[in-house]
Amino acid sequence: MVSPALLFVALVTLFPIGYSIWMSLNHIQSSTNGFQFSFAGLSNYKIVFNSPLFHQALIFTIVYAVVTVLVELVLGLLVALAINQPIKGRGFAIAIMLIPWTLITVISAQMWGYIYNGVYGVLDYLMQSLHLINSPIVWLGTPNLATISIMIADVWKTTPFVTMILLAGLQLIPSDLYEAAKIDGAGAFRSFFSVTLPLLRPSLALAALFRILQAFGLFDLPFVLTGGGPGTSTMSIAMLAYKAIFNDFEYGPGTAVAVITVLIILIMSLISIKAFRAQVGEVEE
Amino acid sequence: MSKAQLLTRKWIGYIVLILMLLIIIAPFYWMVITSLKSNNEISAIPPSMFPIHPTFSQYTQTFGQFGFGIYFRNSLIVSIISTIVVVILASLASYAIARLPIRGKTFIMVTLLVISTFPQVSVISPLFVIMEHLGWLNSYQALIIPYVAFNLPFAIWIMRTYFAGIPRELDEAARVDGAGVLTTVFRIILPLSTPGLFTGAIFTFVACWTEFFFALVFNTDNSFRTIPVGIALFGGQFTIPYGTIFAASTVAVLPIVILVLIFQKWVVAGLTSGAVKG
Repeated sequence: MVSPALLFVALVTLFPIGYSIWMSLNHIQSSTNGFQFSFAGLSNYKIVFNSPLFHQALIFTIVYAVVTVLVELVLGLLVALAINQPIKGRGFAIAIMLIPWTLITVISAQMWGYIYNGVYGVLDYLMQSLHLINSPIVWLGTPNLATISIMIADVWKTTPFVTMILLAGLQLIPSDLYEAAKIDGAGAFRSFFSVTLPLLRPSLALAALFRILQAFGLFDLPFVLTGGGPGTSTMSIAMLAYKAIFNDFEYGPGTAVAVITVLIILIMSLISIKAFRAQVGEVEE
Repeated sequence: MSKAQLLTRKWIGYIVLILMLLIIIAPFYWMVITSLKSNNEISAIPPSMFPIHPTFSQYTQTFGQFGFGIYFRNSLIVSIISTIVVVILASLASYAIARLPIRGKTFIMVTLLVISTFPQVSVISPLFVIMEHLGWLNSYQALIIPYVAFNLPFAIWIMRTYFAGIPRELDEAARVDGAGVLTTVFRIILPLSTPGLFTGAIFTFVACWTEFFFALVFNTDNSFRTIPVGIALFGGQFTIPYGTIFAASTVAVLPIVILVLIFQKWVVAGLTSGAVKG
Protein backbone atom coordinates (compact mmCIF):
# COMPACT_ATOMS: atom_id res chain seq x y z
CA MET A 1 0.00 0.00 0.00
CA VAL A 2 2.84 2.30 0.89
CA SER A 3 5.08 1.26 -1.96
CA PRO A 4 3.02 2.57 -4.91
CA ALA A 5 2.86 6.04 -3.37
CA LEU A 6 6.54 6.16 -2.47
CA LEU A 7 7.56 4.58 -5.78
CA PHE A 8 5.63 7.27 -7.61
CA VAL A 9 7.35 9.98 -5.59
CA ALA A 10 10.75 8.44 -6.27
CA LEU A 11 9.90 8.14 -9.97
CA VAL A 12 9.04 11.83 -10.30
CA THR A 13 11.73 13.21 -7.95
CA LEU A 14 14.67 10.85 -7.44
CA PHE A 15 14.78 9.43 -10.96
CA PRO A 16 14.88 12.87 -12.66
CA ILE A 17 17.76 13.92 -10.40
CA GLY A 18 19.68 10.87 -11.58
CA TYR A 19 18.61 11.50 -15.17
CA SER A 20 19.75 15.12 -14.77
CA ILE A 21 23.26 13.88 -14.04
CA TRP A 22 23.17 11.77 -17.20
CA MET A 23 21.84 14.69 -19.27
CA SER A 24 24.55 16.97 -17.93
CA LEU A 25 27.15 14.56 -19.30
CA ASN A 26 25.69 14.66 -22.79
CA HIS A 27 25.65 16.95 -25.72
CA ILE A 28 21.94 17.38 -26.39
CA GLN A 29 20.23 18.73 -29.44
CA SER A 30 16.56 19.20 -29.94
CA SER A 31 15.36 18.14 -33.34
CA THR A 32 12.05 17.41 -35.02
CA ASN A 33 12.19 13.75 -33.94
CA GLY A 34 12.98 14.40 -30.27
CA PHE A 35 16.20 15.01 -28.41
CA GLN A 36 19.53 13.71 -29.69
CA PHE A 37 22.00 12.69 -26.98
CA SER A 38 25.72 12.18 -27.54
CA PHE A 39 28.05 11.52 -24.65
CA ALA A 40 30.27 14.49 -23.97
CA GLY A 41 31.96 13.67 -20.67
CA LEU A 42 32.52 16.68 -18.46
CA SER A 43 32.57 19.20 -21.30
CA ASN A 44 29.29 20.81 -20.17
CA TYR A 45 30.77 21.38 -16.74
CA LYS A 46 33.85 22.93 -18.36
CA ILE A 47 31.59 25.35 -20.23
CA VAL A 48 29.72 26.21 -17.03
CA PHE A 49 32.79 26.68 -14.85
CA ASN A 50 34.44 28.86 -17.48
CA SER A 51 31.41 31.10 -17.78
CA PRO A 52 31.70 34.45 -15.97
CA LEU A 53 27.90 34.57 -15.90
CA PHE A 54 27.84 31.36 -13.84
CA HIS A 55 30.39 32.79 -11.38
CA GLN A 56 28.30 35.91 -10.99
CA ALA A 57 25.05 33.96 -10.53
CA LEU A 58 26.69 31.60 -8.05
CA ILE A 59 28.09 34.44 -5.93
CA PHE A 60 24.78 36.31 -6.07
CA THR A 61 22.82 33.22 -4.98
CA ILE A 62 25.22 32.34 -2.14
CA VAL A 63 25.28 35.92 -0.82
CA TYR A 64 21.52 36.14 -1.16
CA ALA A 65 20.96 32.81 0.64
CA VAL A 66 23.40 33.47 3.48
CA VAL A 67 22.17 37.03 4.12
CA THR A 68 18.44 36.33 3.92
CA VAL A 69 18.59 33.11 5.95
CA LEU A 70 20.66 34.77 8.69
CA VAL A 71 18.49 37.91 8.78
CA GLU A 72 15.31 35.83 8.86
CA LEU A 73 16.60 33.57 11.64
CA VAL A 74 17.74 36.50 13.81
CA LEU A 75 14.61 38.59 13.17
CA GLY A 76 12.35 35.56 13.58
CA LEU A 77 14.05 34.62 16.84
CA LEU A 78 13.74 38.17 18.21
CA VAL A 79 10.05 38.37 17.35
CA ALA A 80 9.38 34.86 18.69
CA LEU A 81 11.14 35.71 21.98
CA ALA A 82 9.19 38.96 22.30
CA ILE A 83 5.79 37.38 21.78
CA ASN A 84 6.47 34.14 23.69
CA GLN A 85 4.36 35.23 26.65
CA PRO A 86 0.66 35.34 27.41
CA ILE A 87 -0.38 38.52 25.62
CA LYS A 88 -3.73 39.34 24.13
CA GLY A 89 -4.25 38.93 20.39
CA ARG A 90 -1.38 36.52 19.90
CA GLY A 91 -3.62 33.89 18.32
CA PHE A 92 -4.91 36.49 15.86
CA ALA A 93 -1.36 37.61 15.13
CA ILE A 94 -0.28 34.05 14.37
CA ALA A 95 -3.19 33.72 11.94
CA ILE A 96 -2.08 36.91 10.17
CA MET A 97 1.50 35.63 10.11
CA LEU A 98 0.31 32.72 7.98
CA ILE A 99 -0.84 34.98 5.17
CA PRO A 100 2.51 35.98 3.62
CA TRP A 101 3.50 32.31 3.59
CA THR A 102 0.39 31.44 1.55
CA LEU A 103 0.95 34.31 -0.86
CA ILE A 104 1.87 33.49 -4.45
CA THR A 105 5.50 34.70 -4.68
CA VAL A 106 4.80 36.21 -8.07
CA ILE A 107 2.11 38.41 -6.50
CA SER A 108 4.44 39.57 -3.76
CA ALA A 109 7.02 40.37 -6.43
CA GLN A 110 4.51 42.50 -8.36
CA MET A 111 3.43 44.14 -5.10
CA TRP A 112 6.99 45.10 -4.19
CA GLY A 113 7.71 46.16 -7.77
CA TYR A 114 4.93 48.73 -7.48
CA ILE A 115 6.11 49.82 -4.01
CA TYR A 116 9.71 50.22 -5.28
CA ASN A 117 8.69 51.99 -8.51
CA GLY A 118 11.11 54.81 -9.18
CA VAL A 119 8.46 57.22 -10.50
CA TYR A 120 5.27 56.70 -8.49
CA GLY A 121 6.43 54.16 -5.92
CA VAL A 122 5.05 54.66 -2.43
CA LEU A 123 8.37 53.81 -0.73
CA ASP A 124 10.16 56.79 -2.27
CA TYR A 125 7.16 58.98 -1.51
CA LEU A 126 7.08 57.96 2.17
CA MET A 127 10.84 58.34 2.57
CA GLN A 128 10.74 61.78 0.96
CA SER A 129 7.83 62.85 3.17
CA LEU A 130 9.86 61.83 6.21
CA HIS A 131 12.89 63.68 4.78
CA LEU A 132 14.95 60.52 4.83
CA ILE A 133 15.96 61.11 1.21
CA ASN A 134 15.98 64.23 -0.96
CA SER A 135 15.36 62.77 -4.38
CA PRO A 136 13.68 59.53 -5.42
CA ILE A 137 15.81 56.39 -5.32
CA VAL A 138 15.56 54.00 -8.25
CA TRP A 139 15.46 50.88 -6.09
CA LEU A 140 15.79 48.37 -8.88
CA GLY A 141 18.20 50.51 -10.88
CA THR A 142 21.63 49.58 -9.49
CA PRO A 143 22.97 46.06 -8.81
CA ASN A 144 23.41 46.58 -5.05
CA LEU A 145 20.07 48.27 -4.46
CA ALA A 146 18.27 45.71 -6.62
CA THR A 147 19.85 42.89 -4.59
CA ILE A 148 18.81 44.52 -1.33
CA SER A 149 15.29 45.13 -2.69
CA ILE A 150 14.89 41.45 -3.53
CA MET A 151 16.21 40.51 -0.10
CA ILE A 152 13.70 42.82 1.62
CA ALA A 153 10.83 41.27 -0.32
CA ASP A 154 12.05 37.81 0.72
CA VAL A 155 12.55 38.75 4.38
CA TRP A 156 9.05 40.26 4.43
CA LYS A 157 7.48 37.09 3.07
CA THR A 158 9.42 34.48 5.02
CA THR A 159 10.26 35.90 8.45
CA PRO A 160 6.73 35.21 9.80
CA PHE A 161 7.13 31.56 8.76
CA VAL A 162 10.48 31.32 10.59
CA THR A 163 8.97 33.07 13.59
CA MET A 164 6.19 30.48 13.80
CA ILE A 165 8.58 27.53 13.75
CA LEU A 166 10.77 29.13 16.41
CA LEU A 167 7.78 30.13 18.55
CA ALA A 168 6.60 26.51 18.52
CA GLY A 169 10.12 25.47 19.57
CA LEU A 170 10.17 28.02 22.39
CA GLN A 171 6.87 26.73 23.74
CA LEU A 172 8.35 23.24 24.07
CA ILE A 173 11.01 24.41 26.53
CA PRO A 174 9.78 23.53 30.03
CA SER A 175 9.48 26.60 32.24
CA ASP A 176 11.07 24.89 35.26
CA LEU A 177 14.37 25.01 33.37
CA TYR A 178 14.19 28.80 33.42
CA GLU A 179 13.32 28.75 37.11
CA ALA A 180 16.24 26.44 37.84
CA ALA A 181 18.53 28.80 35.93
CA LYS A 182 17.19 31.73 37.95
CA ILE A 183 17.78 29.92 41.24
CA ASP A 184 21.33 29.29 40.10
CA GLY A 185 21.67 33.03 39.70
CA ALA A 186 21.56 33.24 35.91
CA GLY A 187 20.42 36.56 34.43
CA ALA A 188 18.29 36.96 31.34
CA PHE A 189 21.25 36.77 28.95
CA ARG A 190 22.82 33.83 30.70
CA SER A 191 19.60 31.84 30.68
CA PHE A 192 19.08 32.70 27.00
CA PHE A 193 22.48 31.31 26.03
CA SER A 194 22.48 28.28 28.32
CA VAL A 195 18.80 27.27 28.23
CA THR A 196 16.91 28.79 25.31
CA LEU A 197 19.47 28.57 22.53
CA PRO A 198 20.62 24.97 23.11
CA LEU A 199 17.06 23.70 23.44
CA LEU A 200 15.94 25.65 20.39
CA ARG A 201 18.56 24.05 18.15
CA PRO A 202 16.24 21.50 16.47
CA SER A 203 13.77 24.27 15.54
CA LEU A 204 16.58 26.55 14.34
CA ALA A 205 18.00 23.71 12.24
CA LEU A 206 14.60 22.97 10.74
CA ALA A 207 13.94 26.61 9.87
CA ALA A 208 17.45 27.03 8.46
CA LEU A 209 17.13 23.86 6.38
CA PHE A 210 13.78 24.86 4.89
CA ARG A 211 15.04 28.31 4.10
CA ILE A 212 18.38 27.22 2.61
CA LEU A 213 16.61 24.79 0.29
CA GLN A 214 14.28 27.55 -0.83
CA ALA A 215 16.90 30.29 -1.08
CA PHE A 216 19.13 28.26 -3.41
CA GLY A 217 16.17 27.68 -5.70
CA LEU A 218 15.51 31.44 -5.85
CA PHE A 219 13.64 32.08 -9.08
CA ASP A 220 10.19 33.66 -8.85
CA LEU A 221 11.19 36.91 -7.11
CA PRO A 222 13.98 38.10 -9.42
CA PHE A 223 12.18 36.68 -12.48
CA VAL A 224 9.31 39.12 -11.92
CA LEU A 225 10.94 41.91 -9.91
CA THR A 226 14.16 42.53 -11.85
CA GLY A 227 14.28 40.00 -14.68
CA GLY A 228 17.77 39.23 -13.36
CA GLY A 229 18.86 42.83 -13.91
CA PRO A 230 20.10 45.45 -14.01
CA GLY A 231 22.32 43.66 -16.50
CA THR A 232 22.70 40.20 -15.03
CA SER A 233 23.44 41.34 -11.48
CA THR A 234 20.44 39.65 -9.81
CA MET A 235 20.46 36.50 -11.92
CA SER A 236 20.22 33.46 -9.62
CA ILE A 237 21.58 30.03 -10.55
CA ALA A 238 18.06 28.71 -11.04
CA MET A 239 17.34 31.59 -13.41
CA LEU A 240 20.58 30.93 -15.25
CA ALA A 241 19.65 27.27 -15.67
CA TYR A 242 16.17 28.26 -16.88
CA LYS A 243 17.55 30.77 -19.39
CA ALA A 244 20.20 28.36 -20.65
CA ILE A 245 17.70 25.54 -21.17
CA PHE A 246 14.54 27.27 -22.30
CA ASN A 247 15.75 30.49 -23.92
CA ASP A 248 19.07 29.42 -25.46
CA PHE A 249 18.27 25.66 -25.76
CA GLU A 250 21.63 24.81 -24.17
CA TYR A 251 20.24 21.66 -22.54
CA GLY A 252 23.57 20.15 -21.51
CA PRO A 253 25.17 23.16 -19.83
CA GLY A 254 21.80 24.24 -18.34
CA THR A 255 21.30 20.83 -16.78
CA ALA A 256 24.88 20.92 -15.51
CA VAL A 257 23.99 24.13 -13.67
CA ALA A 258 20.95 22.35 -12.15
CA VAL A 259 23.13 19.43 -11.00
CA ILE A 260 25.63 21.84 -9.44
CA THR A 261 22.69 23.51 -7.65
CA VAL A 262 21.66 20.15 -6.17
CA LEU A 263 25.22 19.51 -4.98
CA ILE A 264 25.47 22.93 -3.34
CA ILE A 265 22.10 22.43 -1.64
CA LEU A 266 23.18 19.04 -0.29
CA ILE A 267 26.41 20.50 1.08
CA MET A 268 24.67 23.54 2.60
CA SER A 269 21.97 21.36 4.18
CA LEU A 270 24.59 19.11 5.76
CA ILE A 271 26.49 22.12 7.07
CA SER A 272 23.37 23.63 8.60
CA ILE A 273 22.36 20.35 10.23
CA LYS A 274 25.88 19.90 11.60
CA ALA A 275 26.05 23.52 12.74
CA PHE A 276 22.94 23.14 14.84
CA ARG A 277 23.98 19.63 15.85
CA ALA A 278 20.48 18.37 15.32
CA GLN A 279 19.89 15.12 13.54
CA VAL A 280 16.90 14.96 11.25
CA GLY A 281 16.47 11.29 12.14
CA GLU A 282 16.25 12.15 15.81
CA VAL A 283 13.17 14.25 15.23
CA GLU A 284 11.35 11.17 14.06
CA GLU A 285 11.85 8.74 16.91
CA MET B 1 11.34 38.66 37.47
CA SER B 2 10.06 41.70 39.27
CA LYS B 3 6.67 43.21 38.47
CA ALA B 4 8.23 46.13 36.66
CA GLN B 5 10.32 43.78 34.52
CA LEU B 6 7.29 41.69 33.65
CA LEU B 7 5.38 44.79 32.67
CA THR B 8 8.24 46.02 30.47
CA ARG B 9 8.40 42.62 28.85
CA LYS B 10 4.68 42.73 28.16
CA TRP B 11 4.96 46.16 26.58
CA ILE B 12 7.83 45.04 24.36
CA GLY B 13 5.73 42.05 23.34
CA TYR B 14 2.80 44.24 22.33
CA ILE B 15 4.96 46.72 20.44
CA VAL B 16 6.71 43.95 18.49
CA LEU B 17 3.39 42.28 17.76
CA ILE B 18 1.75 45.46 16.47
CA LEU B 19 4.80 46.47 14.41
CA MET B 20 4.96 43.06 12.82
CA LEU B 21 1.26 43.05 11.96
CA LEU B 22 1.57 46.51 10.40
CA ILE B 23 4.57 45.44 8.32
CA ILE B 24 2.75 42.31 7.15
CA ILE B 25 -0.51 44.04 6.34
CA ALA B 26 0.79 47.28 4.74
CA PRO B 27 1.77 45.80 1.33
CA PHE B 28 -1.55 43.91 1.20
CA TYR B 29 -3.41 47.11 1.95
CA TRP B 30 -1.52 48.80 -0.85
CA MET B 31 -2.34 45.97 -3.25
CA VAL B 32 -6.06 45.96 -2.48
CA ILE B 33 -6.56 49.74 -2.61
CA THR B 34 -4.56 49.95 -5.85
CA SER B 35 -6.93 47.42 -7.40
CA LEU B 36 -9.79 49.80 -6.56
CA LYS B 37 -8.19 52.84 -8.20
CA SER B 38 -8.50 54.10 -11.75
CA ASN B 39 -5.43 53.95 -13.98
CA ASN B 40 -4.80 57.69 -13.58
CA GLU B 41 -4.90 57.44 -9.82
CA ILE B 42 -2.55 54.43 -9.82
CA SER B 43 0.27 56.41 -11.41
CA ALA B 44 -0.53 59.67 -9.60
CA ILE B 45 2.24 61.58 -7.83
CA PRO B 46 1.98 61.78 -4.86
CA PRO B 47 0.14 58.45 -4.48
CA SER B 48 -3.21 58.59 -2.70
CA MET B 49 -3.29 56.59 0.52
CA PHE B 50 -6.84 55.39 -0.13
CA PRO B 51 -8.86 55.30 -3.37
CA ILE B 52 -10.41 58.73 -3.92
CA HIS B 53 -12.88 57.46 -6.51
CA PRO B 54 -13.18 53.73 -5.76
CA THR B 55 -14.03 51.74 -8.86
CA PHE B 56 -14.38 48.10 -9.82
CA SER B 57 -13.33 48.79 -13.39
CA GLN B 58 -9.99 47.01 -12.90
CA TYR B 59 -11.88 43.86 -11.90
CA THR B 60 -14.26 43.95 -14.83
CA GLN B 61 -11.31 44.53 -17.20
CA THR B 62 -9.26 41.74 -15.65
CA PHE B 63 -11.96 39.17 -16.15
CA GLY B 64 -13.47 40.73 -19.25
CA GLN B 65 -11.02 41.87 -21.84
CA PHE B 66 -7.92 40.25 -20.28
CA GLY B 67 -9.57 36.87 -19.81
CA PHE B 68 -8.14 36.12 -16.41
CA GLY B 69 -10.94 33.64 -15.83
CA ILE B 70 -9.03 31.00 -17.83
CA TYR B 71 -6.08 31.15 -15.44
CA PHE B 72 -8.40 30.84 -12.46
CA ARG B 73 -10.13 27.85 -13.96
CA ASN B 74 -6.79 26.16 -14.72
CA SER B 75 -5.41 26.86 -11.25
CA LEU B 76 -8.57 25.50 -9.64
CA ILE B 77 -8.61 22.32 -11.76
CA VAL B 78 -4.92 21.57 -11.22
CA SER B 79 -4.90 22.40 -7.50
CA ILE B 80 -8.11 20.55 -6.64
CA ILE B 81 -7.27 17.36 -8.55
CA SER B 82 -3.70 17.32 -7.17
CA THR B 83 -5.02 17.80 -3.63
CA ILE B 84 -7.56 15.00 -3.91
CA VAL B 85 -4.98 12.57 -5.32
CA VAL B 86 -2.44 13.54 -2.65
CA VAL B 87 -4.95 13.08 0.18
CA ILE B 88 -6.03 9.62 -1.04
CA LEU B 89 -2.48 8.35 -1.66
CA ALA B 90 -1.09 9.96 1.48
CA SER B 91 -3.77 8.57 3.78
CA LEU B 92 -3.14 5.01 2.55
CA ALA B 93 0.64 5.36 2.65
CA SER B 94 0.80 7.04 6.04
CA TYR B 95 -1.55 4.44 7.54
CA ALA B 96 0.82 1.75 6.31
CA ILE B 97 3.83 3.60 7.64
CA ALA B 98 2.21 4.18 11.01
CA ARG B 99 1.07 0.56 11.36
CA LEU B 100 3.24 -1.83 9.42
CA PRO B 101 6.77 -2.78 10.38
CA ILE B 102 8.68 -1.52 7.35
CA ARG B 103 12.44 -1.68 7.48
CA GLY B 104 14.15 1.73 7.30
CA LYS B 105 10.87 3.60 6.92
CA THR B 106 12.22 6.61 8.77
CA PHE B 107 15.19 6.85 6.47
CA ILE B 108 13.04 6.51 3.34
CA MET B 109 10.57 9.11 4.60
CA VAL B 110 13.24 11.64 5.54
CA THR B 111 15.03 11.17 2.22
CA LEU B 112 11.85 11.70 0.21
CA LEU B 113 10.87 14.62 2.42
CA VAL B 114 14.20 16.36 1.85
CA ILE B 115 14.10 15.69 -1.90
CA SER B 116 10.56 17.01 -2.14
CA THR B 117 11.77 20.35 -0.79
CA PHE B 118 14.48 20.59 -3.46
CA PRO B 119 13.97 23.49 -5.83
CA GLN B 120 12.14 22.52 -9.01
CA VAL B 121 15.12 23.45 -11.16
CA SER B 122 16.91 20.29 -10.03
CA VAL B 123 14.46 18.07 -11.93
CA ILE B 124 13.26 20.41 -14.63
CA SER B 125 15.19 19.26 -17.70
CA PRO B 126 14.48 15.52 -17.42
CA LEU B 127 10.81 16.17 -16.63
CA PHE B 128 10.62 18.51 -19.62
CA VAL B 129 12.20 15.93 -21.91
CA ILE B 130 9.81 13.25 -20.65
CA MET B 131 6.73 15.48 -20.93
CA GLU B 132 7.73 16.48 -24.43
CA HIS B 133 8.26 12.83 -25.36
CA LEU B 134 4.81 11.90 -24.02
CA GLY B 135 3.22 14.91 -25.70
CA TRP B 136 2.06 16.19 -22.31
CA LEU B 137 3.35 19.74 -22.53
CA ASN B 138 0.41 22.14 -22.28
CA SER B 139 -1.91 19.83 -20.39
CA TYR B 140 -3.29 19.52 -16.86
CA GLN B 141 -1.39 16.30 -16.12
CA ALA B 142 1.89 18.09 -16.88
CA LEU B 143 1.31 19.95 -13.61
CA ILE B 144 -0.77 17.46 -11.63
CA ILE B 145 1.86 14.70 -11.78
CA PRO B 146 4.81 16.72 -10.43
CA TYR B 147 2.55 18.52 -7.92
CA VAL B 148 1.34 15.21 -6.50
CA ALA B 149 4.87 13.81 -6.31
CA PHE B 150 6.36 16.87 -4.68
CA ASN B 151 3.60 17.27 -2.09
CA LEU B 152 3.02 13.65 -1.20
CA PRO B 153 6.00 13.24 1.19
CA PHE B 154 5.00 16.21 3.36
CA ALA B 155 1.34 15.16 3.42
CA ILE B 156 2.36 11.65 4.51
CA TRP B 157 4.64 13.18 7.14
CA ILE B 158 1.80 15.24 8.61
CA MET B 159 -0.87 12.51 8.48
CA ARG B 160 1.44 9.87 9.94
CA THR B 161 1.59 11.84 13.21
CA TYR B 162 -2.20 11.84 13.45
CA PHE B 163 -2.54 8.18 12.53
CA ALA B 164 0.06 7.13 15.08
CA GLY B 165 -2.16 8.64 17.78
CA ILE B 166 -5.08 6.31 16.99
CA PRO B 167 -5.02 3.16 19.16
CA ARG B 168 -4.29 -0.08 17.32
CA GLU B 169 -7.12 -1.77 19.19
CA LEU B 170 -9.54 0.02 16.88
CA ASP B 171 -7.94 -1.61 13.83
CA GLU B 172 -8.09 -4.98 15.49
CA ALA B 173 -11.72 -4.54 16.48
CA ALA B 174 -12.52 -3.67 12.86
CA ARG B 175 -10.61 -6.71 11.63
CA VAL B 176 -12.49 -8.98 14.03
CA ASP B 177 -15.71 -7.56 12.60
CA GLY B 178 -14.48 -8.64 9.17
CA ALA B 179 -13.37 -5.31 7.74
CA GLY B 180 -10.57 -5.29 5.17
CA VAL B 181 -7.66 -2.85 5.24
CA LEU B 182 -9.31 -0.34 2.90
CA THR B 183 -12.56 -0.41 4.88
CA THR B 184 -10.61 0.07 8.09
CA VAL B 185 -8.78 3.07 6.68
CA PHE B 186 -11.78 4.77 5.13
CA ARG B 187 -14.40 3.91 7.78
CA ILE B 188 -12.44 3.93 11.03
CA ILE B 189 -9.10 5.72 10.72
CA LEU B 190 -9.87 8.63 8.39
CA PRO B 191 -12.94 9.94 10.28
CA LEU B 192 -10.81 9.98 13.43
CA SER B 193 -8.01 11.92 11.83
CA THR B 194 -9.93 14.66 10.02
CA PRO B 195 -7.55 17.39 11.30
CA GLY B 196 -4.62 15.53 9.76
CA LEU B 197 -6.45 15.12 6.46
CA PHE B 198 -7.40 18.78 6.31
CA THR B 199 -3.91 19.93 7.22
CA GLY B 200 -2.38 17.77 4.51
CA ALA B 201 -5.00 18.97 2.04
CA ILE B 202 -4.50 22.65 2.84
CA PHE B 203 -0.72 22.41 2.54
CA THR B 204 -1.00 20.66 -0.79
CA PHE B 205 -3.58 23.09 -2.10
CA VAL B 206 -1.51 26.14 -1.11
CA ALA B 207 1.62 24.64 -2.67
CA CYS B 208 -0.18 23.90 -5.95
CA TRP B 209 -1.95 27.26 -6.01
CA THR B 210 1.33 29.15 -5.61
CA GLU B 211 3.65 27.00 -7.77
CA PHE B 212 5.30 28.97 -10.55
CA PHE B 213 8.32 27.21 -12.06
CA PHE B 214 6.76 24.00 -13.42
CA ALA B 215 3.71 25.93 -14.60
CA LEU B 216 5.93 28.43 -16.44
CA VAL B 217 7.99 25.73 -18.15
CA PHE B 218 5.42 23.03 -18.96
CA ASN B 219 2.38 25.07 -19.90
CA THR B 220 3.38 27.86 -22.23
CA ASP B 221 0.07 27.90 -24.08
CA ASN B 222 -2.20 30.67 -22.83
CA SER B 223 -5.16 28.32 -22.48
CA PHE B 224 -3.27 26.13 -19.95
CA ARG B 225 -1.60 28.86 -17.91
CA THR B 226 -2.21 29.07 -14.18
CA ILE B 227 -2.65 32.19 -12.04
CA PRO B 228 1.02 32.73 -11.03
CA VAL B 229 2.18 32.51 -14.65
CA GLY B 230 -0.66 34.75 -15.80
CA ILE B 231 0.20 37.38 -13.22
CA ALA B 232 3.96 37.14 -13.85
CA LEU B 233 3.77 37.44 -17.62
CA PHE B 234 1.08 40.06 -17.52
CA GLY B 235 1.86 43.43 -18.95
CA GLY B 236 3.66 44.92 -21.85
CA GLN B 237 7.24 45.75 -22.59
CA PHE B 238 7.12 49.29 -21.25
CA THR B 239 4.20 49.71 -18.89
CA ILE B 240 3.02 47.37 -16.20
CA PRO B 241 -0.78 47.39 -15.77
CA TYR B 242 -0.72 47.34 -11.97
CA GLY B 243 -4.46 47.90 -11.61
CA THR B 244 -5.27 44.73 -13.53
CA ILE B 245 -2.47 42.77 -11.87
CA PHE B 246 -3.65 43.69 -8.40
CA ALA B 247 -7.30 43.06 -9.16
CA ALA B 248 -6.34 39.55 -10.26
CA SER B 249 -4.01 39.17 -7.28
CA THR B 250 -6.67 40.19 -4.80
CA VAL B 251 -9.06 37.60 -6.18
CA ALA B 252 -6.26 34.98 -6.16
CA VAL B 253 -5.29 35.74 -2.56
CA LEU B 254 -8.79 35.85 -1.04
CA PRO B 255 -9.78 32.16 -1.17
CA ILE B 256 -6.47 31.03 0.34
CA VAL B 257 -6.59 33.64 3.09
CA ILE B 258 -10.11 32.58 4.04
CA LEU B 259 -9.16 28.89 3.94
CA VAL B 260 -6.06 29.37 6.07
CA LEU B 261 -7.76 31.63 8.61
CA ILE B 262 -10.59 29.11 9.09
CA PHE B 263 -8.18 26.21 9.58
CA GLN B 264 -5.39 28.22 11.23
CA LYS B 265 -4.99 25.95 14.26
CA TRP B 266 -4.37 22.89 12.12
CA VAL B 267 -2.13 24.75 9.72
CA VAL B 268 0.06 26.05 12.53
CA ALA B 269 0.23 22.56 14.01
CA GLY B 270 1.18 21.13 10.61
CA LEU B 271 3.81 23.80 9.94
CA THR B 272 5.53 23.10 13.20
CA SER B 273 4.99 19.34 13.28
CA GLY B 274 8.48 18.74 11.96
CA ALA B 275 9.91 20.56 14.96
CA VAL B 276 7.79 18.64 17.43
CA LYS B 277 8.70 15.09 18.24
CA GLY B 278 6.10 13.02 16.36
